[in-house]
Amino acid sequence: MAALGARRLFCHGRRWFSETTPDAPSPTPGPLYPPVVASVTAKSQAAKWRRLDRFKQRVHAAATVEEKLRLYGKLQRPKYMVYPQTFALNADRWYRSFTKTVFVPGMPPGAAAAKAPVAATGATPEAGRAPEPGAEAPGAANTPEPPVGAAPYPDMGHLRSLTCDALLQESFYQNKKRPFLYRDQDHTPGPFLTQLVSTLAAFLSGRNPLLAESSLDLKPEVNYYWHHGEEVVVHGHRKGRVDPVRFQIDDNPHLQIRVPKQLPEVVPLESDLGDVPVIDHQPSKLPLFKKQYENKVFIGSKVADPCCYGHTQFHLLPDRLKRERFIRERLEDQIEVVYRSNGIASLFAWTAAQAMYQGFWSEADVTRPFVSQAVVTDGKYFAFFCYQLNTLALTPETIKNNPRKNICWGTDSKPLYDVVEDGNVKGFNDEVLLQLVRFLLNRPKEF
Amino acid sequence: LFPGVRQAQWLTKTKLVEGLPPAVQSIMDNPALGLQELEERVKHAVSHARLWNTPEVAPRREQYCPVLFENLIHICRLMSGKYPSLSKRMLARNCRIAATWERESILLQVRGLSGILMNSMTPIPPVASKEEILATKEHVLETFYPIAPTIDLQEVNVYKELNDTGFRDGYPYSHPHTLFFLESADVRTDRFRPEQLRAKMLMFAFGNALAKAKALHGNDPKVLEQPVVVQSVGTDGQLFQFMVFQLNTTDLVSNDGVKNLVWIDSDQNLYEKAQCVPEVKKRVVTKPAGISGFQPDTFKKFLALYLHGTV
Repeated sequence: MAALGARRLFCHGRRWFSETTPDAPSPTPGPLYPPVVASVTAKSQAAKWRRLDRFKQRVHAAATVEEKLRLYGKLQRPKYMVYPQTFALNADRWYRSFTKTVFVPGMPPGAAAAKAPVAATGATPEAGRAPEPGAEAPGAANTPEPPVGAAPYPDMGHLRSLTCDALLQESFYQNKKRPFLYRDQDHTPGPFLTQLVSTLAAFLSGRNPLLAESSLDLKPEVNYYWHHGEEVVVHGHRKGRVDPVRFQIDDNPHLQIRVPKQLPEVVPLESDLGDVPVIDHQPSKLPLFKKQYENKVFIGSKVADPCCYGHTQFHLLPDRLKRERFIRERLEDQIEVVYRSNGIASLFAWTAAQAMYQGFWSEADVTRPFVSQAVVTDGKYFAFFCYQLNTLALTPETIKNNPRKNICWGTDSKPLYDVVEDGNVKGFNDEVLLQLVRFLLNRPKEF
Repeated sequence: LFPGVRQAQWLTKTKLVEGLPPAVQSIMDNPALGLQELEERVKHAVSHARLWNTPEVAPRREQYCPVLFENLIHICRLMSGKYPSLSKRMLARNCRIAATWERESILLQVRGLSGILMNSMTPIPPVASKEEILATKEHVLETFYPIAPTIDLQEVNVYKELNDTGFRDGYPYSHPHTLFFLESADVRTDRFRPEQLRAKMLMFAFGNALAKAKALHGNDPKVLEQPVVVQSVGTDGQLFQFMVFQLNTTDLVSNDGVKNLVWIDSDQNLYEKAQCVPEVKKRVVTKPAGISGFQPDTFKKFLALYLHGTV
């Protein structure tokens, strides 16, 4: 090894300084000491942050999605149980603040225009698909090549008759015993909804190839667990510590359609369509109650299922949230709140669980928006919701620099029919059926 | 009772034929159905029902049996993209059936919830030809002397001899097409054994056919010009029993004359085993998780029975 720097000693007083002349650069050796980091086990803030970092590294480095979900929900602490179907007043404002969601009334503009292009694409492939019976028309009086604008109309007649048949079968023709006390919804609207959706989905699978690969589930479970906001622990051996506020949604939709391909995004990922309400009160004021149990994240089937993206969910409101009850207690404005809170909470849980199944979580935010749809009904009144999940980062650390917001479009509840009398459905509303058909026909652009 | 189907045969004056009728076989063998592509989807359906359905490790039979049925019916229904007349079908759950008939001076009746029924607007065409029907005249019903044929049946006092299809008049989907029975009790003793399940399927199919025949042609006992055909599928989540029943006559008092016909295909396994967690012996995976021993023929029969009458 050549050219060691020459060293000279010189004296300043009685202190000896050594001076080295700078020479050709020698390769810098590696660090002589290990990096100075906080302890893992000490009772200090730095140690707590280091432990959190190690946990996040473990989750990031998990090999499979199941392992990630297991580590994510490993620590059990008391958490707020959020019920999508709730009688709490103004619950939809609270739920929007918990999930950082912007509510936009009405349907997204892409869905409204989708019917006209769908009709156009419905007509042209029909001419191409020769074995496909023309427009699935009900027998006579329908031309084999319908003009572009008229393509939906023969279908509407057939769909309307299918809907009326399902309704009449459940409410009129089938001999059933009287409904059990407070179980009216299981007696007629439940079977009607199942019947309606299954026949419509089967009928429209010719138009929408995505439905042909879908998976239909009755009464599946949808769960999601997340942190949002901070609070101080009030009592117990952990009193005084600052903890994240934990929430869990456990939902049981009436019907669920899952598909193997994701629905297209409605608006770009970073769009800002409104404000998220900020509520200064504790969530327990809603009222919301805490319990400690297993932290589940579930979309309706396990991770191994190929149909891992959601398409549409159908929710049936129970008897205790009937319209008549609200009218009797003079809370008419809360009727819409019930539908909205159900739509927002259920769809947030579903889309967020879908995102977690793809490996995203609050520290690894989504790179593409997750879109799903839902229909909330009590048998007669239907409300439609479309949700776009743009961000999962709702924890106190990650929400600071996160400009993204989740978006929920929703309509008011409209009746499908007025009354069923003597084997006839009176006052059928085509708008509602059309919106339902649009929902079912929603598909990615490649299809 | 142990020889359940034989007893049911005597009670309903029916002749048994093993295997499915040739009309259904021809649907199965029809290559235009595209059954090969459906295999993959059926495997997913079975895996979903048996493995992926719940956040717990393994779903119970009460959960996976109905889910499997729903998934299979969903796949069958999606065929209505190809055959639009399939949309003229409606599923009815928890429908009640009541039918009464006399059998050698013993009054019998079938009542109760008959599982899940699928109705269609058009009836199934008769499966057996006229010669076969007439040939049943020579068939002698086997009796179990000295055991009375009504052993193990509940004796009740009825005040109304009721014949009810379960639906009001004017119902557009008035022809019963297929009955589905799901044995989904968790405890094995609560479930019907395959033999008893077949007997139950036969009795309910007969009850539905008889009620429909009486609604169409009146209450007098006679030989039917247009035989009524009702199909039936029973399962416990793994074993499937298929049955096609043809009602040729409502004259059931005497032991001679034209008999009814039933084709039974029993004990069809859809898959051998569904392993939820891989079995590991001495650190070596002996059985991987998943469905093993999948048999597509069973689903083909299911689909053929579903499509029977429209194809």
